[in-house]
Amino acid sequence: MIETIEIEKCTGCGVCDLVCPADVIHMEPAPVAPEVPGLTQTRMLPVIKFREHCITCFSCEIFCPEQIVDVHPSVKNRPRPW
Amino acid sequence: MTGLSRSFEGVLIDTDVLVIGGGAGGLLAALSAKRHGPPGTRVTLVDSWLIGRTGHTAFSNAWQIFALPDDDLDGILQEIVSGNDGIADQVLVREVLANSHARLKDFEAIGMTFGREEDGSYKRRPTRGLNLARVMYPEGGGLEFAWALRRALEAEGVQLIDRLFVTGLLGGGSGRVAGAVGIHSRTGEFHAIKARATIVATNAITFRSGFVRDITGTGTLLAYRAGATLRNAEFSYVRPGTPKFYFEGITFAIQEGARWINAKGEPFMRDYEPDWGDEADVPRIARAMAIENEKGNVPLYLDMSAIPEPLREYFIQSKVKWMDNFFRKLGNEARTDMFGKTPYYALNQMTKMAIGTGPDCRSDLPGLLAAGLAQAGCANHFAGFHIGLCVGNGWIAGRSAIADLDALPPPRLDAAEVRALHDEVTRPVDESANAESDVILRDLQAIMFAYDVGILKRADRLEQARAAVDELAEKCNALAAPHTHELVRLKETEAMLLAARFILGASLYRTESRLSHFREDYEARDDANWLVWVDIMERGGRPHFAKTPIPTPLCSATLVTRRPTRAISGQAHVAGV
Repeated sequence: MIETIEIEKCTGCGVCDLVCPADVIHMEPAPVAPEVPGLTQTRMLPVIKFREHCITCFSCEIFCPEQIVDVHPSVKNRPRPW
Repeated sequence: MTGLSRSFEGVLIDTDVLVIGGGAGGLLAALSAKRHGPPGTRVTLVDSWLIGRTGHTAFSNAWQIFALPDDDLDGILQEIVSGNDGIADQVLVREVLANSHARLKDFEAIGMTFGREEDGSYKRRPTRGLNLARVMYPEGGGLEFAWALRRALEAEGVQLIDRLFVTGLLGGGSGRVAGAVGIHSRTGEFHAIKARATIVATNAITFRSGFVRDITGTGTLLAYRAGATLRNAEFSYVRPGTPKFYFEGITFAIQEGARWINAKGEPFMRDYEPDWGDEADVPRIARAMAIENEKGNVPLYLDMSAIPEPLREYFIQSKVKWMDNFFRKLGNEARTDMFGKTPYYALNQMTKMAIGTGPDCRSDLPGLLAAGLAQAGCANHFAGFHIGLCVGNGWIAGRSAIADLDALPPPRLDAAEVRALHDEVTRPVDESANAESDVILRDLQAIMFAYDVGILKRADRLEQARAAVDELAEKCNALAAPHTHELVRLKETEAMLLAARFILGASLYRTESRLSHFREDYEARDDANWLVWVDIMERGGRPHFAKTPIPTPLCSATLVTRRPTRAISGQAHVAGV
């Protein structure tokens, strides 16, 4: 299951959102200090929106060009037959 | 526009061939349609997520059975049919095998590399439950395989639409399928796609249990609702696994000497499968595990103590990129656990329920074809014949779709039908609702994955399970979705509930035991009465179950394959690791 994205190192490229097959990560506008006083400025950064639906496929970690995504290998919520 | 708006607005796309689903079946169907069609043929491929980075294929080794020119094609056909206990479309399987060498050359032509021995021949491995067939994999596994195909489709002018979740098939009131509708799986924007031929390649229902839990297989249920026939619902892909971690090397571990043992340390597979033992195909191992559980002999383990350490490392050095990351992060203790200390279970992976077609992949409905695991070519797939079959039937489906283009009347859209499908998908939208489909899903999993329902079946327990599923379906009908993410999951859950009813109904209907369908109250295989497909079709708003005899034009469907001594050991093929 996805644990963390080191947001301070993130370039906002959006690959993690693009490759996620479970719609877990969403790129969303985050407020940053404005370059022009008086204007509201944002940049797109990833948000772990639906962590509980992560399928532990590691795609975000594999394809992140900055290597700042951490997925834990444990598998959760798998049904047992007995 | 807001995707969650109930106002009727959206996008209309017009195409010749629409392919739904971006796994091996869909990718090959799109490639085949483009290559078989005259110049200018419009081919559109849609998937719920990013084509080339989603689905079972992308997260697999992409192992495939390829029959090379010197192979015994009819021998491989016979062992696959025998291994399916006769539940296979012989003509389709033979053509898939016969075409596989040409597909291998296609793959190499678009940049894939398959390993070779020093003498230049391909590196090939045996696979479980089969003697003659050999599997191969492309470098980079499924992620590279699927991406290479995506790039090839882009280069050949196929329209790729990512993140489109299909919610209904269009009929246009003309007795044929005329395309599909769906929503953008992030924004919810409504899309209608008018198509002269529609190929459903959406895999199978997994109940989100398998190792790739993004597969939800909804397309087969949409085909049913449109009037198509489904089959093989009583069979499932059950296999040993552990809920703690994924290990995709069991087949090869067994070839190298691993064996299943019970809590007493006793090997047990020869008690159930005297010929094949631990090398039996996975449904048979799963059944043995379930019976061992009934005997009180659990936990069960995969004992790898006979395998030298360097070879164990080979299983970790997977061909799958995500498994590399996975194992790298496992601590040493977890690795030790993996080699003999972790209890294994018989885990259900997916139903084998798929769309019934002829060997040409055409369904009963004009304009609707099926490919991949959404096509009911076999009731069981051996390691390497999951993707191998998908590649083959995808190619056939694309070719048939092109052949039909001028034979069918032009599709037309019925505005009222499009509107009704739009309203149906937006009906559950309620921004004030809680997302609760997961509660239904967990209850459904508990019903369907109990070993005495999903693996060892009996009429009374199947009936009880069906009543419980009906109750869940009523609860699900009352749910709403606060956002598109939940709307997609809610629609998938609805499809799983319908699939569960069909699985239980078909399991009750087939009163014998065969392949992965084990009835405690009908223990014997009964070829005289049950060498048939159990077909499911809608009659008067209800599912109707019927027998369709399986044609056997090419080989015996009743032969039981015995296991001769292996000509090639697995170990010889991992030399050097």
